[in-house]
Amino acid sequence: MSEGRRKVVIVPCSGIGKTYGTVSREAAYEVTEDMRPAQAQLVALSLLVLGDEEARAAVAGSPAVTIDGCKLACATKMVEESGGTVARDFAVLDVYRRHRQFKPQGIAELNEAGHELARVLAEEIVAVVDSLSRDNGGEDA
Amino acid sequence: MPDLPKKKVGIVACSGEELPEGTVTRLAALKVLEQLRPADTVTICLPLFLAGGEGDRAFARFYPTVAVDGCDKRCAARATEMYSGKPAASVVVSDLVAEDGMGQPEGKRRLNDAGQQAVEATAERVADLVDMLLGKTAGQRAEVLAESVEVSEPEEAVQATCACGSGIPIQEVAVDGRVVTLIALPLIFQQFHQAGKMPGEETARELLEVVKIYNPILQEEEEDYAKTLRREYAAFSEKQEVPA
Amino acid sequence: MPEFLELTVDKFIFKVATDCYYNSEGVWAQAEASPLPLGEGAGVRVRIGLSDFLQQRSGDVAFAEVQPEGTVLAFGDEVAVIETIKADISLASPVTGRIVEVNPAMEMAPEVINQDPYGEGWLAVIEASAWESDRARLLDPQAYFLEMRQEAEEEAKRL
Repeated sequence: MSEGRRKVVIVPCSGIGKTYGTVSREAAYEVTEDMRPAQAQLVALSLLVLGDEEARAAVAGSPAVTIDGCKLACATKMVEESGGTVARDFAVLDVYRRHRQFKPQGIAELNEAGHELARVLAEEIVAVVDSLSRDNGGEDA
Repeated sequence: MPDLPKKKVGIVACSGEELPEGTVTRLAALKVLEQLRPADTVTICLPLFLAGGEGDRAFARFYPTVAVDGCDKRCAARATEMYSGKPAASVVVSDLVAEDGMGQPEGKRRLNDAGQQAVEATAERVADLVDMLLGKTAGQRAEVLAESVEVSEPEEAVQATCACGSGIPIQEVAVDGRVVTLIALPLIFQQFHQAGKMPGEETARELLEVVKIYNPILQEEEEDYAKTLRREYAAFSEKQEVPA
Repeated sequence: MPEFLELTVDKFIFKVATDCYYNSEGVWAQAEASPLPLGEGAGVRVRIGLSDFLQQRSGDVAFAEVQPEGTVLAFGDEVAVIETIKADISLASPVTGRIVEVNPAMEMAPEVINQDPYGEGWLAVIEASAWESDRARLLDPQAYFLEMRQEAEEEAKRL
């Protein structure tokens, strides 16, 4: 990857009230740590909203991909309100509807199906990251 | 004097993804909510709180809240203060780890042994704070950022207590020409007075939100209730001594 | 837009629309004027859905399967099944009659049940054949509010 090319920013909601929040968090880690560490970086939503300079700098001029646990879409809403550009927003609930066999359970610890759902979601996100990276003139992993 | 019913403590964890300590806060908060103090605590979902979650913000405004942060950036504590009010207590995992001489937590997705130890220690600290805020333990108050509100005996005898036998005080007031009984109103007035809330429009709005917790009020009648509360609280305040 | 009774328990706010009737489960029923001309058997059209308390307690709706148009139901028959992360919930019809309309949003966007339970989140419209006697078996908003409050407080204590 050429120096100076900005990474796609991944912002999960990490909501603590529902299993979907944990799925969003796990999927974000899969993308940024395992699948596309050179092309994507995770930014914590609360840092962004509360004005952390590094977080704000990361989203300025870089496309963001948000991962919301549910239709309240907190991550998408707050990234937009913080001046970020959401290139694509994912809702875990929508992904679950398309993969009904992976019913997630557990908040502190996801069940096996929850991990599978996170993996499937991560793959969908990676496709977007690759596309955005190509648009930025980069290479896929 | 009985306490207001169903008093609970809100737990707001930063869940920061960028540091292992963020994961520690998440797991510690869940441990308190699900295992250690399930009847005494309510989870405040930080992203929902930031995005404008009405229920979460209202709860944090009127009930004690413990902020559990991974690092000095204190996102949970700052967010709570920004949108609801200073948290009643705060725990910062990085400080706790240093204080107790624990090993450095590692692994954001799968915590190492030191991380698990930090989860246990943080959960215990939060549980202790919950107990203290609910008045269940006496003694040393650790890292309390605001004084808890103590309910004192009123100057006048309370009119009555709720017929349900709970001992919760009630008060009759006039709302738009009719007499209405409001559960817990004397206690609510005392708590507001002890918190230093001056009579006025803003206080009346805040009173209305708390009164609604214990009394069903039609949306169309809220203005009338707000006027009544403003009047009644002003009368109540006149009768109290100025707090030191 | 209906008026609401509101109950707050901890951080949760539960609204009860005051222009509906409710069964004990929390399925609401709201009568409308029937568009059918007389002679074709005009009946009262009744729209049904989930109360705010029921949708909040059930969790995010992932799937909603409503009986199809034309289905004839007795009071208490299963009218829909919703699947949330927490459970599969069978909903009893608060109305005797024939389903004449099913909310198209139930197919692709059932989360509307959570977002707007008394408005866009309606489940079905039933042409009622015995509305007056059905209504007598349902709870008015105040009665449902009291039942809901008791249930909510008991749940909060159980936690």
